[in-house]
Amino acid sequence: MKLSETITPGRINLNLTATTRETVLEELVGLLHLKPSARKALLQTLQTREELGSTAVGDGIAIPHCRSLVVGEVLVAVGRSVRGVSFRASDRRRVKLFFLIVAPPAGDPGDYLIILGSVAQVARLLAKDRRLKAITTAQHFISLVKELEE
Amino acid sequence: MNPQLQVLIALQDILLLIRDSKDPSSQRAMDKIGFELTNIESLEATKTDLERQLKPAIRSEYTRAQQRYGRIVAPVINSICYGCFVKIPYAIDGADDRNKTLYRCENCGMFLYWVDK
Repeated sequence: MKLSETITPGRINLNLTATTRETVLEELVGLLHLKPSARKALLQTLQTREELGSTAVGDGIAIPHCRSLVVGEVLVAVGRSVRGVSFRASDRRRVKLFFLIVAPPAGDPGDYLIILGSVAQVARLLAKDRRLKAITTAQHFISLVKELEE
Repeated sequence: MNPQLQVLIALQDILLLIRDSKDPSSQRAMDKIGFELTNIESLEATKTDLERQLKPAIRSEYTRAQQRYGRIVAPVINSICYGCFVKIPYAIDGADDRNKTLYRCENCGMFLYWVDK
């Protein structure tokens, strides 16, 4: 699965306003446009996942993720915070780039791990790419992801 | 959404998270990506808290379904119960109170959750 083929402009926010771990998760989940009850259930699962251990992977990147009953297909949302958010990263850096991944419970867990791995790989390339800062539109963001995936 | 269904969904998601977190191959993959899985005990505590929120009758059904199937709620997608892959009768599938009333699959007995499309 290629990230560029999964993300849509409507699920990208390049100017996250959240300043805490809890509110950034809310803002990211909001990008999935789920019904309020599903949104609430998903948020609860994501928060529980964060209690297990931070999903920040260093270099200013976090990949909040879970498998949840409330979705019928893999959904991805992307957020960029200009100021960064404290997300309990092991390198203590503030997180500026977020990739939310939610997968349905059915299916091979191996596939889900492959998706997580490939997103992490692209996220690390993106975080190092100087062009990221200058990007202002979701479409340009997708184009850059596509370029890095090739 | 029915409050008890909300709890059941949270429980099912947590059961899945616990299973994934304890699976050695998942652990290796997560570690390779850079995720830290340091606090599995907190999941067990959250699971216990949620179980306490279930009404006694639902809790016994939950226990039974968990023992039998390893899961408790089946998603419904395109009128199909994804617990047993049997079509849900229209009388239930077409009801206005889907997810507001706690329905169970007439075939497999799992609680049903209609997924947003």
